[in-house]
Amino acid sequence: MSLMGRLDELSASFRVRRAWLAFAVVVFIAVIVVPAVFVVTKVFTDWDLVQGILDDPASMSVIEGAVWNSFSIAFIVTIIDIVVGLPMAWIMVRRDFKGKRWLDTLLDMPLAFPTAVLGISVVMFWGAPEGISIPGLGLDLSPYMMLVLLHIIFTYPYMVRSLSGILEQIDVNYETAAMTLGASKWTAVRTITLPLFRAGMATGFILCFARSLSETGGTYIALTMMGVQSSFFTGPTFISWLKSDVGSTDSPEVMGSMILISVIMIVLALILLVVVKWIIRRFRIPFDKVWPVLGRKVSRGPLPKAKDFLTIAFLVVIVLLPSFYIFMYLTQPAASIDYGTLMSSIGTSFLVAGVAVVVDVILGVPLSLYIARNRNGKLANILDGLVNVPLIIPTTALGFSLALFWGSFGAGDSLALLLVILGHISFTYPLVVRNLIGAIEEVNPECEEVAMTLGAKPFQAFRRILMPIIKSSVIAGGILAFTRSLGETGATLSISSSVNTVPIYITRLVEAGDYTEAAMCSIILIAVCFVLMMAVRALTHRRQGRDA
Amino acid sequence: MPEIVLEDLCKSFGDSVAADHLNLRIEDGEYVCILGPTGAGKTTCMRMICGLTRPDSGKVILGGRDATNDSPDLRNATMLSQTYALFPHLTVYNNVMFAPKTKGWPEADSKQIVRSMLHMVHLDQKADWMPGELSGGQQQRIALARALASGSKILLLDEPLRALDARLRIDLRKELRSLAKEMGLTCIHVTHDQDEALEMADRIAIIRRGRIIQFGTPREVFDDPATPFVANFVGRSNIMTGTVVGHPDGLTEVEVAGIRLPARASDLPVGSEAVVAVKIGFTKLTKPGAEPDEEDEAEDIPARGYARGRVERVLYEGATITVEATVEGLGLISAKLPNRKYEEFAAGDTVEVSWPAAKANVFPMPDCGLEEEMRLDRWRGSSSTGSRCASATSTPSGTYPWTSATAST
Repeated sequence: MSLMGRLDELSASFRVRRAWLAFAVVVFIAVIVVPAVFVVTKVFTDWDLVQGILDDPASMSVIEGAVWNSFSIAFIVTIIDIVVGLPMAWIMVRRDFKGKRWLDTLLDMPLAFPTAVLGISVVMFWGAPEGISIPGLGLDLSPYMMLVLLHIIFTYPYMVRSLSGILEQIDVNYETAAMTLGASKWTAVRTITLPLFRAGMATGFILCFARSLSETGGTYIALTMMGVQSSFFTGPTFISWLKSDVGSTDSPEVMGSMILISVIMIVLALILLVVVKWIIRRFRIPFDKVWPVLGRKVSRGPLPKAKDFLTIAFLVVIVLLPSFYIFMYLTQPAASIDYGTLMSSIGTSFLVAGVAVVVDVILGVPLSLYIARNRNGKLANILDGLVNVPLIIPTTALGFSLALFWGSFGAGDSLALLLVILGHISFTYPLVVRNLIGAIEEVNPECEEVAMTLGAKPFQAFRRILMPIIKSSVIAGGILAFTRSLGETGATLSISSSVNTVPIYITRLVEAGDYTEAAMCSIILIAVCFVLMMAVRALTHRRQGRDA
Repeated sequence: MPEIVLEDLCKSFGDSVAADHLNLRIEDGEYVCILGPTGAGKTTCMRMICGLTRPDSGKVILGGRDATNDSPDLRNATMLSQTYALFPHLTVYNNVMFAPKTKGWPEADSKQIVRSMLHMVHLDQKADWMPGELSGGQQQRIALARALASGSKILLLDEPLRALDARLRIDLRKELRSLAKEMGLTCIHVTHDQDEALEMADRIAIIRRGRIIQFGTPREVFDDPATPFVANFVGRSNIMTGTVVGHPDGLTEVEVAGIRLPARASDLPVGSEAVVAVKIGFTKLTKPGAEPDEEDEAEDIPARGYARGRVERVLYEGATITVEATVEGLGLISAKLPNRKYEEFAAGDTVEVSWPAAKANVFPMPDCGLEEEMRLDRWRGSSSTGSRCASATSTPSGTYPWTSATAST
């Protein structure tokens, strides 16, 4: 009997299915969730280290500053994203125009760029850092402003995607109905459609906030290029600065600081996840009052046009131009690239990302199936919430925590690569599972049920019916996770300083002042990511074509 | 040998009871409709038969074999769902081919079966189409072909005609039934549409609150409803409550608000509370002094009605009209009459109400009260009150004669 046949037979047993689910849940909890937050226990076991830092006002003020920077930047960036993301989502969903597909692709571009690359590009565009031969705008921005501009770029696509995802599901008839009842367009949108947005707003808010909170590579590079990497910190850059520049983690001050800031970041992030969900559920768009005259005025004439123009202008000037500015390096004389190191770091990156994605999919499928098909179950809801945990935790803190966790089992630097892979599994897992859950929920559960009454074993129904239907979502989720892993700096750095992925290699080049070389490597990396993104598009488009 | 036997099935989801000691016995080759209001447990009953839902207790016996613990793929009971659930990524041909391929039948035979099934549902031309490209009726027929190609002897149809437009729904009733009969299948067809059930079924099982409250031929269910609920659910009835005052001439006489109404024979004791139910189709409204119809005379209706009322409105429905009249003491009484009488009635007219005594069903007053008994909406509550109500309103002896194999005439 073939392997598949044997699996089919096995799947007929309720116990085997339960065991497989239990295995996936246990691995999820033990390998993904627990190591991610393990560092919190260190507060209790190594209290004296933390106490030492708490008693040292100088260290405390640095930590407080870093945490404040992280959260305030994330907050400002998310609010800006919502404000400019809403009209953009409207344009993408409710308008039809030539070149919409191009705009659609352009919107996703910043996601394909590793953030380390964006860091170089943004600082080049807005400022004119020393040692870079291509002139930027030459603005003298504070590090804080620069980081806000940088973070908007890689959070903006998430916001627009979540908002337009929800908008697509909101029937345009609600608005039409409101308008036939006498509401102006503006009033209809404000009082009918916007309140329906809450769920999308929550997802977008959490995604953007978490992404901004987490980001290490680009932020660190931007700060390095501005020459302030050892005086201006965000939470994640503080951890990587301690890890890479100060070096020895054996000293109690460094260890204490790292534990303290990781715990603060993790706890605040988790509190935030809960609070945001709570607030958004209760939040009501204020002003039930309607101003018919004002509503009519802003619904017609130049104002809506101005809004659309500003939205597109924002996308081009704040998001797209700074992202692509790095390609200016193609006009420069070719730099001497150390291809050997570059290729080996690309190899490492692909190995890490590839293994992580495969594990994500294999372990993610049973869990997603369970969550999607047991929406009312308690366990399913708990798991659903837990899946978000690695997503919201800053990856640098996650990496540090993970290294401590496995280190406590004696896993040292010899297993560094394995630990890095585990770390990458942690923060990419939610991306794959979220995608899978969404895809499975769209499949009529009766398809599998009917297949079983037609004589199929559960595993046969899964691989012959469900899997082919959700295949493109699995691949899309996989590639999303892959590019995310490829661009990650913080987690890799905080787990081990010996594993050289591409973003880390680029960071090192920037630290050494080899901007041209760093930029060329970035362009090569972008090219690789771009090809992958195109593959996603091709696949999802083929699916849509077949559904029609 | 009886094909499907359900013994004492119980199933609840949290607070709501979907099956409450459910018993049913379906013969080989029978076409049975399960009829009930929304939330009565129709779909749960069917899912327990094909193994997609596990009963909390009780047995499912298929073809004489206890199948309670069998997985769906071993039961040879195929489900036809109301959404059709055609596999969206497979062509029509491969959809129908699914079961033969899964069961590993020889390829030549499989192809032959698939072709003949497609031919049977008149869709051989569409073999290479994707399900999304077909109309609702075509999808429905493909789903049927797919189910038939599995070689299952039991076909479970979950509101199979629900998503179709009215005309097609009526056409497909006959087609579905004759196909099933032709292939010798045992069918269970779940529906909440009483016309569909009356037209298609060999026998109808009326389900309510997870219990079968009546199981009989369409005629039995229509003419001899087991409870006031059935009387009103299968064909609308005028429902009146009163007190039994006597048993003249082998009839039951019930006094409602001072009006004496005749109903069919019963053993209800004099002085007990009773419910009288008359199908609106058997209710007669006549103008005082009008010449009695020939057929009225044949049915032994007195020249003068039981009570007088005033016409409220007249609804034209095509072949029939419905006249609604308020009768003091009886409330609003409706009557379905042939449309040739449309000219005779106008709002405000005085009319006399009557019916053939043998067509008036009489029931003891349900323990839980008439209002609770007649409720159609989804019902939530503890199972104990539910069972008391259901059993009290069934036959007085408390047994279920319709679960025996002798129920059909």
